[in-house]
Parts: sequence; C-alpha cells; structure tokens
Amino acid sequence: MGVEEGDILAEVANMLRAVLGEAADEDITMDTTFRHDLEMESIDIVALAGRLQARYGDAVNLAQFVAALDLESVRDLRVGQLVAFIAGALPEADPDKVPA
Amino acid sequence: MNTVRANGIAVHVAQLPPAGDEPAPPTAVMIHGMAGDTLASWYFTLAKPVSDAGLRVVAYDLRGHGHTERPLTGYTLDDFVDDLDALLDAIGVTGPVHLLGNSFGGTIAFAYAIRRPEAVATVTTIESSPPTPAWFHRVAYRLSQAGQPGRRLAAAREFVGATSVARELPASRLPGDALIAAITCPVLCVYGGHSRVGELAPDIRRLLPHADVVVVPGERHSLLVDRPETVREVVLPWLLRHCAKEVVR
Repeated sequence: MGVEEGDILAEVANMLRAVLGEAADEDITMDTTFRHDLEMESIDIVALAGRLQARYGDAVNLAQFVAALDLESVRDLRVGQLVAFIAGALPEADPDKVPA
Repeated sequence: MNTVRANGIAVHVAQLPPAGDEPAPPTAVMIHGMAGDTLASWYFTLAKPVSDAGLRVVAYDLRGHGHTERPLTGYTLDDFVDDLDALLDAIGVTGPVHLLGNSFGGTIAFAYAIRRPEAVATVTTIESSPPTPAWFHRVAYRLSQAGQPGRRLAAAREFVGATSVARELPASRLPGDALIAAITCPVLCVYGGHSRVGELAPDIRRLLPHADVVVVPGERHSLLVDRPETVREVVLPWLLRHCAKEVVR
C-alpha cells in the first residue's frame, strides 16, 4: 500500500466513524468489509458516498461508482476496494498533492 | 454526508448530476416508503439510470428515516409535503419536477401534486396510492403491526416506537376525491401482481382515468428493490417520453 493509499484509508476510516458513530469503533483496515465487519446498511453507504463527494469533489465520482452497484454487491464492498478506487480516480487534480 | 436544513430539520440528500451538458436539465425527485425504507432503495436502483438519461436526480431520507433528523412528533401527510416543498426550495430546484415515489413516497408525491400543481411535471409511483381513506387505513394497520416482534424490520420498529407516527399519520387531513381527481399531470402507477396494494388500482382508474397503470406479474410490494431492471424498463421510457414533450412545449 503506497503512502497515498494510507492517507486515503485514514480519511475514509474517519468518515466511516462519523457516519456510523460507535458502531465503527474497531480498527478499520483495507480488509474491513462493510456488511460483516461494520454492519453497514445501504443507507450508510450512501451517506459515506456523500461525504467522499464533498471531500474529493467530482474528480472522484464515487456517487456514480456506488450508484452503479446493486443493493447486494454494495454491501459486500471492502474498505480496500473503495480506497483503491479513490486512489485510481484521483488525478493530478488532488489539491493535497504537490507536483514534484 | 450531504445534509440540508429544510422545514426546521436536517435532511439527508443524495444527488446525482445529469449526464450530458443540457443547460437546464429536468429534475427527478425520488421519495422512499414509510417506516423501514430509506433513499437507498432508489439510489441503488433507478437513480443512476435516470441520471444517465440526462436528468438531475435528487433523493432524500424522509423525516425520521435513514440519516435525516427524527423529531418526536410531526408525522402527518402535510408534514411530509411541507418537507418536500422546503427541500426543493433549499436546494434551488426551480421548474416542474418529475416525482417518483415508492409506496408511501408515492402518496407524498400525489399530495405534493395536489398542493403545488404548477411545480410537478409528472408523478411515477411504485406500489402506491393517492391519499385515499382506503390507503390510509392500510398504512395505519401496517404501522400498528410494526411494534410486534418479528413482524417488520428492526428499523421500522425503532422508528414507530420512538415517534408519534403511528398516531399522527393515520389521523392526517386527507384531500378528498375531488382534489385527487383534479391532478392533471401525467401519472404512471406500477404494481406487483402478487401485492395486495394492487387491489387499490381500481381506485386509481376511477380517480385518475388518464393514469398509465402497469402491473408486473408475480411481484410483491418490494418490487422496486426486487426487480430494479424491470421497473427501470417500465419507468425510464415513460419518463423520457414526457421529458421530451416538456422540451417541445
């Protein structure tokens, strides 16, 4: 996992804690599953998508990514899949990334 | 999380921008059902196909549901219509909207079309009814059963237990047949062939003879989440046909 993915994981984990409250008090890793580990409902995933949209803007079209899934497969998501999607979608447009 | 203050409460809203670069795209507003449902039912079924077709999509959690605030009281039909009106204002939706409602969400759509006829382009409902006494009788029964262990989802039980909805909603002021029959915008009503809500279809035909009624054989009340592709095939062409008329007009 690159530094960038590590940063994204930390941010995603914070957002998950904000959406889920006490339900997300365990360690959140790339292998954490939305349904089995976090017991997320589909509505919690929509709420997370909204926070990600606000954070990363339209460059990371997570709402579209998530909305393209059906109700079953969205619950089977792992945190790592989400982090990889964000890392892949973030172009040079990432405001935090300083060009070398 | 995208939260908007409307009608005094924090409302959780999910929006999908329309595909394409139409300067003034039509807006579709998706309303979920009562007790145990959330905007996710629309978000993971029709929201993306409708936004891909060029409409701005707005879905929101009703008061007391999902991630929207849960006041202890304020659960009459009028409260839900007030919320929708305030929400559209708060997010800057102007011009007639296409309302899509699942189950009781469809009832809110009809009630909004009665109150603000100029603000509604079309009404599409899944497993729903206009606000008639017969429908409210059923809704009251369902709410009264939600407290029984095992009868409904935990979320519904929690909502009904924590609020006055089971007392207030059945006592809602209803518009009456004449105002329902005065709805003139295009209406599409979709039912599951094995759902008892479909028994209310004759009421639709009597009150809204211009409505298109489609029955999907073999399906139950959870038609939208059970058969999203089928619902999409019925709803999307109908919606786009009416969007096109709007543009021509």
